[in-house]
Amino acid sequence: MLLHIGAFHLDIDSHQQTPWHRLAPQTRILCVLLLLLATVLTPNGQWLTWCVYGAAILGMLLVSRVTLWVLCKRIAVEYAFVGVVLMGTLFREGGDVVWQWGWLQITTTGLTVLGSVSFKALLSLLLLNMLTLTTPVPMLLKGLAILRVPPLLIAIMASMYRHIGVLIDEFSAMRRAAVSRNLMGGSHWQRMVIGNMIGSLFIRTYERGDRIHQAMLSRGYQGIPTAVETPNTGRYDIAALTLTLGLALAGQSISLIR
Amino acid sequence: MNFLLFSTGLLTQSVSHTFAPRIALHVPDGFLNAPVLTITWLISIGLIALALNRVQAEYQDRAVPLMGVCAAFIFAAQMINFPIPGGTSGHLLGGTLAGALLGPWAGSLVMTVVFIVQGVVFQDGGITAMGANIFNMGLIGTFGGYYLLRTIRYAIGRDKLSGMIVGTSIAAWLSVVVAAVFCALELAISGTVPFNVAMSAMVGWHIFIGIGEALITVATVTFIWRTRPDLLYRSPRRAIATSPRSLSTR
Repeated sequence: MLLHIGAFHLDIDSHQQTPWHRLAPQTRILCVLLLLLATVLTPNGQWLTWCVYGAAILGMLLVSRVTLWVLCKRIAVEYAFVGVVLMGTLFREGGDVVWQWGWLQITTTGLTVLGSVSFKALLSLLLLNMLTLTTPVPMLLKGLAILRVPPLLIAIMASMYRHIGVLIDEFSAMRRAAVSRNLMGGSHWQRMVIGNMIGSLFIRTYERGDRIHQAMLSRGYQGIPTAVETPNTGRYDIAALTLTLGLALAGQSISLIR
Repeated sequence: MNFLLFSTGLLTQSVSHTFAPRIALHVPDGFLNAPVLTITWLISIGLIALALNRVQAEYQDRAVPLMGVCAAFIFAAQMINFPIPGGTSGHLLGGTLAGALLGPWAGSLVMTVVFIVQGVVFQDGGITAMGANIFNMGLIGTFGGYYLLRTIRYAIGRDKLSGMIVGTSIAAWLSVVVAAVFCALELAISGTVPFNVAMSAMVGWHIFIGIGEALITVATVTFIWRTRPDLLYRSPRRAIATSPRSLSTR
């Protein structure tokens, strides 16, 4: 939780030299997306398929030498929130009743769904954390641009990313000011003050947007450049992609055969 | 019965330092099945494409800096915890607020950008489920919220603060509740959570969350109406005549 914000230093493992880091950002995104889709779209109850994917993801984690401690901390926090949701999947009808207490009953179907969904969610979180731990945000954005995400969307995301820290600072300054003036007393007051803070933050934001625009114009901004730099991918990236695709298909064929 | 609630977690924790229920409607990866994912993604991509075109046409080269900071603004505003009547605390989703301030197209674009950054960078809501999240909160919450707000506001009177307040409160509350209904429906259709459990837990809880959303949205919009009405989307007519005064020093 806390490690996410502040300096926004998410990519603590981006300076390693490993086979994973040799991949271009767009290749990394594609590999992660492929495995993610394969994991998520596998129907419930295909344990063997997920074990194959899980082993592959574990291998990728070891190869990319992400700091496992940080990875575990992040997964723990993120999974705690997923876990709350998972409870809802358990109590349902269908299959054999395993355990019953009043109207609450746990059935085999419920257990299968619970197990499948938690497995899928865990694998997805591992994949995404590996991507964000090893790839800085500017590189991610560049990769997305090469993958033909609309340049306007990318430019807006880049601009947002650049200003999040500024706005959070401004907001904490306002909050400090309100607290130091004893304005955060009752809940009613607190809501009023926070509403006003958000309002005045919007006014400042809008004006900041205009100032940024002026500054960009004065530096010769003429709209977003449409041409993206040519991707420097080679055989290595193609091999990695093929391997991932093969893995995804292998996992799917296991689930089809059974 | 709040075991079914999705959390935004992560970011918001750092501000509050509490483990109060962090509730929003961000569906993680692995909860929805292929048909639901496909349909919500298709609708969301259509929405994004339309919104990009409209925003580009309306703001031209101001689009990038303005939408960028506004997305950062929504992101920052979502991190603030405030007490909800009834004892818990919640935080803003901001859909209706974005709609009221920036209009339907720019508002939903800004919300979409926020969801993408939250999903990709902070794992707050899944990647494959992002289509569903954009559909629930961007399309229903922002787009739907704006048009509901606009209908009510114009019915009472465009230049009346009361119209704005009534419209904002109803639209903000309803947008959260309807987004929760859609979220529950998607989970039930995917076979992840039984329909009655999903409905009662998600919707029952978000009826309260919506109250908090409505209160904060109304407070924010009222503040802007009183200080810089010209910044509202479809601002009251008197505001257009008076020249705006800057409040910002930085």
